[in-house]
Amino acid sequence: MSDDELTYEAATARLEEIIRRLDSGEAGLRETLDLVTEGRTLVERCAAELDAVSRGLEELRLDELVARLEQQTPDAQETP
Amino acid sequence: MTGEPARPEGIAGSELPGPYPVGAYARGMRDFLRARPRVQVFGEVWNFKIARTRAFFELRDADGALQCGMWRDRLEALGLPDGVLADGTQVVVGGGPDYYPGSRTASPGFSFDVTALRVAGEGDLLVQLAELRRRLDAEGLFAPQKLLPRPTLPRTIGVVTGESGKARDDVLAGLRRRGWAGRLVWAFAPVQDRRAAPAITRALQDLAAIEEVDVVIVARGGGSLADLFAFCDETLCRTVALLRVPVIASVGHHTDRTLIDDVAAVSASTPTHAAEAAVPLDVAAARARTRTSATRLAWHGRRAVVERARHLARMGRVPGEHVARNRRALHQQLRELRAAATRRGVREREVTATRAEVLRRKASAGAGAEADAQRRALEGLGLALEAHDPRRVLDRGYAIVDDREGGLVTSAARARELGALRVTFADASVDARIEE
Repeated sequence: MSDDELTYEAATARLEEIIRRLDSGEAGLRETLDLVTEGRTLVERCAAELDAVSRGLEELRLDELVARLEQQTPDAQETP
Repeated sequence: MTGEPARPEGIAGSELPGPYPVGAYARGMRDFLRARPRVQVFGEVWNFKIARTRAFFELRDADGALQCGMWRDRLEALGLPDGVLADGTQVVVGGGPDYYPGSRTASPGFSFDVTALRVAGEGDLLVQLAELRRRLDAEGLFAPQKLLPRPTLPRTIGVVTGESGKARDDVLAGLRRRGWAGRLVWAFAPVQDRRAAPAITRALQDLAAIEEVDVVIVARGGGSLADLFAFCDETLCRTVALLRVPVIASVGHHTDRTLIDDVAAVSASTPTHAAEAAVPLDVAAARARTRTSATRLAWHGRRAVVERARHLARMGRVPGEHVARNRRALHQQLRELRAAATRRGVREREVTATRAEVLRRKASAGAGAEADAQRRALEGLGLALEAHDPRRVLDRGYAIVDDREGGLVTSAARARELGALRVTFADASVDARIEE
């Protein structure tokens, strides 16, 4: 699964799994460093997702949006 | 029954026939009524009641009313939705008059015996709705929405609702409660009557066509059943069922469940709950959890680095000690080799000098011209030998170049490689450095 396909849910689930593994103390040195690296990437990803829905409510109207989209592509519709 | 009662005298002066026993008359009336033609009658249902084997209701309109009875098994065979035969429901019934003759212990009663029934008017809609619900369910259209993955944290939410409705504020309140402040696309549509269905359908399709929209809420407050029929429209419900985005419906109440509640991914009781269902995650709490995760990771990371450093230090000491030991041994061997080489050189010079002395003595012991010639030859040899003494070579202006540790340097390449050299002249040695 590439980063783009990873949902917030999947990212947090993997993150929790990583922390459980680290907390268990069973991971060796190499594995610990790998997990910490992976975990940091996931934390950044989750934080970015949370930031995306915390920037302030943006309200759009569908009719305005549709009108704008139709204005943008009148030529494409007229050309056979 | 105690048998036929004795027939009393009739009323004096009356010209009417009889008197007849009432049971016989009642049965006669039953038979008479049952012989009346079967017809269809329409009106409103009132006081619908179900007994053990029969259902009873009155059929009324402005001008009159009719007590009706129907066998339960016949009524149940119609498969009407529960509660549809409420007061005021328009129905058409088929059947004919009947009379229950009663007995000494049971009251008699007239009723129109209903053998067929069709719900008309608004009630008809309920029946049609039940029928449509059965059909959509049979086609498996209640399932697809429920199988769609719903994002835990949608970035863009579409909302279909009435522009002036309270539902709008409720949705916003629900989103605020989640701490969600992403992008909302409002699709305002009439949500009050049956004509609203096409507008709602279009709004849903337009919202689903916007790639960024992750989930759609369809919200309205309560309302009369007639108002809710817009959300039972077949086209609308089929559209919702096959939409690519999950739809969260908050339309009716528990008592009057609309068809969109069945096809939608989630059916919420209020618009606020619908908003919370659209964003299952409490954003503030999630942020706190992420911070905790980051702290844990940092702690594990630091600990791992410290452990690795210790490990490397441990690993580093072992080869270091090995190398040091080997280096000491090699130095020792080198010193011994050099010392041996110097001793051999000194000894060889002594041997050569001794041989020359022997030859000189032999030469001087010789006699006559031959002896002289031999002596001269010997002296020549002695000179030649002396000429090969390295010290003599130094006297003549040559120098010995070594690597400062006794190893002779015999080429410019080696000299460049070493950089630092020792040059031995006849009188002494000097340290030299190659500059090119």
